[in-house]
Formats: sequence, C-alpha cells, structure tokens
Amino acid sequence: MMKLNRQFVRSITSKSKRIILSQDKDKVPQYEGKASPLNKKRVYGWGFQETGALGIQTNVKKAQERYTQTVNFPTRLKFSENCEVEDVCAGYGFSLFSVTRSDGETLFATGINTDSQLGYHGTLDVIIYPTVVQLPRKPEETPEDLKVRCMGAGRAHAVVVTKNGTIFTLGNNSYGQCGRTVIKDEVYKGSHIVHRIEKGTFTEEGDDVVAVECGQDHTMFLTEKGKVYSCGWGADGQTGRGHYLNSSEIMEVKGDIKDEKIVKLACSSDCVLALNDNGEVFGWGNSEYGQLDDTEHAPPQLNTPKTLEVTRGRGKIKDIASGGSFCMILNEEGLVYTWGYGILGFGPFVQQTAKPEQLLPPLFGRNDFSNKTEVVSIGCGVFHMGAINSDGDLFMWGKNRFSCLGLGHKKDQFFPFKTAVNAKVEKVGFGVDHTIALCKSFI
Amino acid sequence: MNQILTYNAPTVFKRLNGIVKLLKPALKRVSHVKNAFLFNVCKDLNALNVRPPRQILLESGGAQNVVLRKVNDLSDHILAVGPRYQIKDIKCSVVNHLGEHTSGVLILGLNRCTKNANKLRKQRFIRTFHVKGLLGTSTENFFWDSRITCKSRFSHVTEDRFDSIVSSLQASHQRSMYDLCGVDIRSHAGYELASKGIIRPEINDQPLIYGIKIIEFKPPNFTLEIHVINENEEFLAMLVHDIAIELKSVAHCNGISCIRYGPFHIDNSLINRHWSLSGAVHSMNHCKNVLDINMNVND
Repeated sequence: MMKLNRQFVRSITSKSKRIILSQDKDKVPQYEGKASPLNKKRVYGWGFQETGALGIQTNVKKAQERYTQTVNFPTRLKFSENCEVEDVCAGYGFSLFSVTRSDGETLFATGINTDSQLGYHGTLDVIIYPTVVQLPRKPEETPEDLKVRCMGAGRAHAVVVTKNGTIFTLGNNSYGQCGRTVIKDEVYKGSHIVHRIEKGTFTEEGDDVVAVECGQDHTMFLTEKGKVYSCGWGADGQTGRGHYLNSSEIMEVKGDIKDEKIVKLACSSDCVLALNDNGEVFGWGNSEYGQLDDTEHAPPQLNTPKTLEVTRGRGKIKDIASGGSFCMILNEEGLVYTWGYGILGFGPFVQQTAKPEQLLPPLFGRNDFSNKTEVVSIGCGVFHMGAINSDGDLFMWGKNRFSCLGLGHKKDQFFPFKTAVNAKVEKVGFGVDHTIALCKSFI
Repeated sequence: MNQILTYNAPTVFKRLNGIVKLLKPALKRVSHVKNAFLFNVCKDLNALNVRPPRQILLESGGAQNVVLRKVNDLSDHILAVGPRYQIKDIKCSVVNHLGEHTSGVLILGLNRCTKNANKLRKQRFIRTFHVKGLLGTSTENFFWDSRITCKSRFSHVTEDRFDSIVSSLQASHQRSMYDLCGVDIRSHAGYELASKGIIRPEINDQPLIYGIKIIEFKPPNFTLEIHVINENEEFLAMLVHDIAIELKSVAHCNGISCIRYGPFHIDNSLINRHWSLSGAVHSMNHCKNVLDINMNVND
C-alpha cells in the first residue's frame, strides 16, 4: 500500500504531469467546424487561362500577365462557391456552366467569345469570369423550364437543351453547325443571334432530345428513343448521313444504327463513337489512323455509321470516348481499352495500336490495399484522355498542352496519372487546352 | 530443428540464437522492454544447471610437503562475480523501433541472429498499424497524455465523409510513390513500374502511406488501419490530427498498435508474462517457421 501511494505521489508531482492535471479544461477554446452541405458541388479548373476559359481571374490586367497564362494545378473556381453549379461543359477555349439561382438565370459562360458563342457581350473578345448567357425567353416560360438539361460545346459554337425540350444554339454557323441556314459572309462577332429550335421540330412525336454532343464543327443530338440527329460540317463524314457535305438541316443519322437504341455519343473532334443499350459500339467520321477500320484498303473516312468489329470480345461496353486520333472504351468490369494513334497510355514507346489494348487496373489505383477500385467513367479531349475511378479520383494522360492534365508541369504524360483534385470528381469537361471538373467535396 | 531435453545452461545458451517476437505494451520504451525480457531470460538460464566455478590447483602443505589439491576458484564463484548469465552477455538487436506510445509487435534478434535482424531491418517491410483516435479534442503532442489545446464539435462527421477523405489521402500518397522511387515517369521504366502497382521506394526518411482505411467508427472514437513505411509514431498521431482538421473538427490519437511487421503478425507474439526462456525458445521456433515460409533471410 505504501509503495503504491509513493508511486502515485511521484506521478502527480512530476512537472509534466502536474501541468496536464492543473489545466483548466473549461477555458479551452471551442472550435466550431462547419461542413458544406451534402449536395453542394465544387468546380475545379486547370489548363490555359489566357482565354478566360477557367474563370479564375477577376482582374483583366492580371489575366493578361505572362505568369497567369496557365494554371498548372487544379484550382477551385470561386464562381462555384457563389452559385450552385449543376453541370459543366468545356469547348475550344470557353466553358459553360449550368446553374440554379434565385434570380432565374440558368446558364453562365466564360472564355473566348469571338463568334458570340457565349451570347452577346458587346465587343468583348474574351470574357474572364463566368457571365450570364441570356437565352431568349417566351413570356410564358418559367426559370424552371429554362433549366439546362444538357449542353455541348464545339470549336466556336455552343448548344444548350433546356428542360422543356427547347434547343438553343449560339456561335459560329459557317458550316450549319447551329442548325440554321448558312448566311454567306455573316459577321459572328458581336452577334445577337441565339437560334431557338422548338421541341419536336425534327424529332418524332413523343420523342425528346436527352443529350447533345458537339464535335469540332458539327452537332449531334441523341433522343430518348435512341435516335441520333446531326447537322454541321461533314467533310470527314462526321455527320454520318451518307455524304461529305455540310448541312444546316438537322436530320436523322441512319446506317447501322438505324434500328438500334443509342444511349451515348462521344466525339471531341471528327471521329464519332456511339454506344447502344446492348453495349455494342458504332463509329463514323474520320478514320485516318485506323480507329474505326484497320483493314487494308479501308477508307480513311466513313460517312455512314458502321458497327465496330474491333471492339468485339471485350465484354459489354459501358462507356465510350473518342479523341482526335484515338478511341477509348470502358467495359462492365471497369477495364479501359484504348486504340488508335498518339499517346495511348502504354508508355512512351507505344504510339499506335490497331486493336483495343487494355490499360492495366493498377494504373487506375487498384492495388492490394484498394482491390475493389474500378474505373466508372472515361472521357477524351482532342489530344488527351481521362478516367474517373470509383473513389472519385481523376486520372489523366496524353499531350499536356498548356498543362491541361493538371499534373503541375507541361510535360506529356505517357500513362494514367492521378490529378491532384481535392474532391470527388463526378464529371469532367475536356476542352482542347483546359479542363473543367465538377466535383463533390469530401466534407 | 532436432529437439533435445536438457537442463544444462551452457547448452541452452549455445542454442539461443534466433528472432523473437514480443508484444510491446504502450508507455514502455523499447529499451525497457528489451531489458525486462533479457533479465527474465537470464534469470531462467541461471536457474538451470550453470557452470560450476573453475578449479585451481592449490599447494596446501608448503614447499617441503608438496600436495596439490583441486579447489574451487573463489574468484570465479557466482557470489564473487555475480550470476553466470547477465543481460550484457546476450547480444540483442532490435528490428523495428516502436515509439513509447505504441504497443504491438517488437522483433528482436538474439545472439548469432543479430545479423539476420539487421538484414530484416534493411528489407524495410510494410508495417500495419491500428491507430485509435478521439474526436472533439486536440492535444499538444497529438497523443492522449498532454495538455488539451482545442475542443470542437463533431456531429457533422460521418463515416462516408471520413471514408472519402481517407481514400483521397491514400491515392495522393500512392501518387507520391513515383516521386520517391527515383524513376523518370516519362520513361518506359516508369510505365512498367506504374503498371505493377505498389512500389517500395529507396528513400528511407520520408513516410509513405500505402493503404489507409477506417475500420471502426463510433463517434467520438474511431480506428484507422494504416499500411505504412518509414513512419514514426509522431507521424501517425499527426496524421490523425490532420485528417480531423480536414473533417472540420479536431482529434487526438488515443492509441497506436503495430499489428503487423512484414511477415510477422501480432498473433503468437509473447505477452508480458511469457517473457521467459521457454517463451523465447517457442517464439524463436515460430519466427523461424514464419521466415522459412516467407523468404530466404534465414541463413
């Protein structure tokens, strides 16, 4: 008993213990942590800033400075903190944001506006911070009707489909990509024109546009019943309508996809992939690098949709993406395949493959410590590719123009590498030299 | 290993070469644990049939009457020189240095196996820790035994949010593997390394987390399982602190235990009351089996 007592006395009389015991715990400051709401989205952007496509700078003079030319690391857009951003889309040097706001505006945009692809903003060539795009509204239309259902952005045009099924097209129409008659020598700069296509103008009765995909200078619409409609530039057959002409009239794409239910379209420049509900892939457009057909004497362009034989035997395809010279598919097991020409993700030596080759799962974060991780969605810019895994990590590889891969440098990346986005990535808009990611915060 | 039954202390001592696996309690330093273990081993050795004192020839009758007699050399008697086996007689080298606040697997190499122990240390195995945390208060040294610096509420911390923070941390650390491994990621070698998955970098001063996941979450208590290399206990405690700050709350570390060191799992490690000669022999056999199965470090 004596011994115990002595130990106790010693332990409370040692100076370090005394300091701890004598602390008045009521006087400890209380920190009030505040978590962001669960459904709040964040937007990160990186890549070429000078076009204003990232909407990060607020000062015109600073935006033109040399040191702010590129953003090397994913950076949070302040705009997304003030607004509730629901969808993002990246075009060639400009970005579109679909938002929910109390004042009823639904579409914001930032970036190059040389062809009025962001609507009328005076004579400004470049808009550096997200600005509202006025969609012409009928008196009976409510803000709820004009909420954005889907949108697409091409080289110099933008297409927006609203909740009530109306399609708005803005920007350059020199090839008919806006779905209106081509006017010779039209001046697009400072133009007030926002073309409005009413619901059901070109679709069947009871069918509605659910997705829109813009290539470089053409536009494709996907409907609920799985039909595909297109208009615009057709020099490589990318409109898929059996000819190589430009067309301003929106018409159905036939060929092999005529009786199929298409669920997804992918196109970033002029090679188009389409996916049906059975997981089969179709393609049309540019095939210069043998993406669509690698047999001898294969035509370099396809003007009618064709079933892709090369993708057979790789399981049910879940997602597709196509870049300037390569294509990507993702199957149900979460395995990514790439083929075509360019940086395909197989190291610096592999420049071209004719058949889809599998990128190994460890490249996308699967290892002994996270063995259930798999890729859930893929996407492509013109020269680079990206994949999102089930943990919400974004992996990117390819040509690193103006550090559009967000790896902190401007060197090309030859295999998938994690981009340091500090949130769960949900959707990525791949521009030609910038990237916009819609994310969910961790907390 | 051929088995023999003996009560002869020198025979036992000769065979006391091997790797032993102890369970280190928290708040005891490694040197204390090592001393306590060796003290017990020596005590048990001394209880066996130890070597009798050396004998010397003594002339008892003087020069005229020479009679030589063998007698015990008193200068070699245990009452003069102390016990036959003492702590300093046993060579012992520690493979993994656990911090004072850490409990768990402690690997020691005894006598001729100190060389093997050094080899094991150079293999730089991945260690697995269970780190317990307590949300709501942060402390000065990030452990439980110091002054509280800040309090916070934690009702907004959910398991989902915890999970996502932790998985992003893991992905970021795995990404930094490539920076540490010293291979140019723009080369083909870089690609081949990356497609293998886990790499063990050559640098041994920067902690690197391979895997981290939350295995128990009952606010305010939580437990993280961390697979890590080059760590120390301050790093792990600070990790708990940093994760909590990411979660817009504060926390301190409430306990660390090393449950695995490479092939050595915490199961079958010697607890306090088995720190004895027989325990050491059992543990040596066990560790030898483990090493035989897993690798060729046993000479």
